[in-house]
Amino acid sequence: MARTWDRAIALVDMNAFFAAIEQQDFPEYRGRPVVITNGLRGTCVITCSYEARSFGICTGTRLPKAKALCPDVVRLPARPHRYAEVSSRIMAALAEAISPDIEVYSVDEAFLDVTHCQRLLGDPETIGRRIKQAVFDASGLLCSVGVSGDVTTAKFAAKQRKPDGLTVIPPWEAAEQLHDVPVTELCGIARGIGGFLERHGVRTCGDMKKLPISVLGRRFGNPGRRIWHMCQGTDPTKLTYEVPAPKSVGHGKVLPPATRDRELLLTWLLHMATKVGTRLRRHELEAGRFFVGLRTDLGWIGGKPRLPLPTADGGVIFALCRRVLDEAWDGEGIHQVQVTALDPRSTSQQIEMFAPNLDRRRLLHAAIDRVNDRFGALALAPARLLGRSDMPDVIAPAWKPTGHRRTV
Amino acid sequence: MKFEITKEELLRPLQQVSGVVERRQTLPILSNVLVVAEAGSLAFTATDLEVELHASLEHDVETPGIATLPARKLMDICRNLPDGAKLTLTVDGERGTLKSGRSRFTLATLPAEDFPKVEEVPSTQSVALPQKTLRQLIDATHFAMAQQDVRYYLNGLMLELAGSRLRAVATDGHRLSLADIDAELNVEEPVQVIVPRKGISELLRLLEESEEPAQIELGTNHVRVSLPGFVFTSKLIDGRFPDYERVIPADSGHPISADCGVLRQALLRTSILSNEKYRGIRFQLETNNLRILAHNPEQEEAEEEIEVVYDGAPLEIGFNANYIIDALSAIRTEQVTMNITDSSSSCLLTPDGEGGCRYVVMPMRL
Repeated sequence: MARTWDRAIALVDMNAFFAAIEQQDFPEYRGRPVVITNGLRGTCVITCSYEARSFGICTGTRLPKAKALCPDVVRLPARPHRYAEVSSRIMAALAEAISPDIEVYSVDEAFLDVTHCQRLLGDPETIGRRIKQAVFDASGLLCSVGVSGDVTTAKFAAKQRKPDGLTVIPPWEAAEQLHDVPVTELCGIARGIGGFLERHGVRTCGDMKKLPISVLGRRFGNPGRRIWHMCQGTDPTKLTYEVPAPKSVGHGKVLPPATRDRELLLTWLLHMATKVGTRLRRHELEAGRFFVGLRTDLGWIGGKPRLPLPTADGGVIFALCRRVLDEAWDGEGIHQVQVTALDPRSTSQQIEMFAPNLDRRRLLHAAIDRVNDRFGALALAPARLLGRSDMPDVIAPAWKPTGHRRTV
Repeated sequence: MKFEITKEELLRPLQQVSGVVERRQTLPILSNVLVVAEAGSLAFTATDLEVELHASLEHDVETPGIATLPARKLMDICRNLPDGAKLTLTVDGERGTLKSGRSRFTLATLPAEDFPKVEEVPSTQSVALPQKTLRQLIDATHFAMAQQDVRYYLNGLMLELAGSRLRAVATDGHRLSLADIDAELNVEEPVQVIVPRKGISELLRLLEESEEPAQIELGTNHVRVSLPGFVFTSKLIDGRFPDYERVIPADSGHPISADCGVLRQALLRTSILSNEKYRGIRFQLETNNLRILAHNPEQEEAEEEIEVVYDGAPLEIGFNANYIIDALSAIRTEQVTMNITDSSSSCLLTPDGEGGCRYVVMPMRL
């Protein structure tokens, strides 16, 4: 029997995920250059099929340029709810068929810790094939899989063969395989750290051995020490199975250019405030400081007001928005609004000494949330939102099937 | 300006006033100490525009004068001179010179007339009490002050003069501490002032366990405390302190009596395994028994039982352990009495047989 690995991590990376779903749902698009944009108003390519990529189109390409590169390009509006549904199905299938130790990294990527599945499922290469099969059985889609002894090398491995690849790098070969790879190719080493490393004579992962770990530790702390290990195929990072508490919870909308109607702006702000409040409550969070932003031609105006006591009440957040609008806005044209809870934390169980009793308000919100969970977001909402816009929701790159990032 | 002095004589007043000299100042002169040398006396003043500290001593002066010198540098040089060293401080024009033995330091000065002066305190009320009594009053209450709360009036200690007592109250909205002392006052109407947190911590540093008098003067915008050789002046927080009497609960009818030290030790141990951020612990009360429970997100658990005197119905209530521990640490009697009505109402802690202090802690939802 082959040698069991001390640690085995697999990364699953869906190939051109959104475009592949569209091609599967609508057979007429198969084999054609498909690009996905945000609704029919979005002008930026969110993702595109491999056929489109062969013309030089990639994520971020503007639509006019995509059309110039490939006149036959098929432009489809994103269907975030559908992508979330397929993603959830794939992730559930992987958790069921491979290992419950799964970290959903993004809507189309997941890490699996298969260390403890080697006797049950076979050697890492077999596990990799099983993963691809499980994904295909659940969705009919293709993915690339990388298997190695740590997350960084697994991610690097998955990048090596796309689409529909499987790359296995045994942990004892990781350092050698990474040896000539530029450090900036690894996930998590951007230009800033890359520049620092280059000044210290480290360009490829192999160069890292020459640099004492303390140099990185002094400059970047533990993340720096991690980078030292990453480059030698010994990234100690464990998978996290729970979504960490968010650093902020926010919603924003791009408005028709140069919106100057105060009532309209208030409606938008109420819409965002209500969404932020709902999402805070769904995850049992509250915040004491909010960013309320209005984007003008000259940049953001607005403020970061503080509340005496943290809240998850859309009405209280909206009152802040109204105050900021009164203080910061002089009637200039606005083309985007943003409301963000800046310091969300778990709802405090501490009872206040001088605050009014908010228990009734809390019960009211719980009831509203139950109604909306059943009949759809904002089914029960402040009357002002009856006239809100119908701009489609956008899926965030950090979307997760569970936790606070589930919101589409 | 010129005078001779020993290291120790100079260091003491410098250290006393240096607490308000902050390291990074927007106004350069606030990094300096104002030195006033008059015939037979020396005075040192430092300020952060909120609190002013003024130390003075009787001392021979060769040439009188007035100047400001960099406070920290002067103090650090002084501290690192050999013990008992004699030194000469001279200020001539824009330069200050410090000489001691074979050491010589030249310091930059800033114009003394630019040094911000706290306006005179037109005193409306005045009270004198021993230093150690004032110290006890602050010690018993200051820990409950809020820190950087948006409700700025909570970031300080409230002093109240009424009838024949001086009262101190601090609260951060979750817990409250209150201490009374009898004092000879001649106040017609009760007076309330809020002294900022920074001022209270400086004052606490300066007050000694002595019978020497501390003279407190209250103005409309300032409070001044005069100690022998030392004057502390602080701006007051302009705000209305919350109606604290409303939140002090009445007697529950079934007081819990516990050994203060035993309860505190038990809480210190159990709280180790409470949630690091929220510090929640659970009290389970039964006849003559208190069980304290804690657990954390890592599923670690702590449980302690202690003997108490209690004849009420079984009761379960949650608290932030730190709030109870802080109150117990301030209580100096052996026994503590707790009054708890139900799991969502405040808890009153009082030292047994000593009427002056009261502590209120709001519970946590379980």
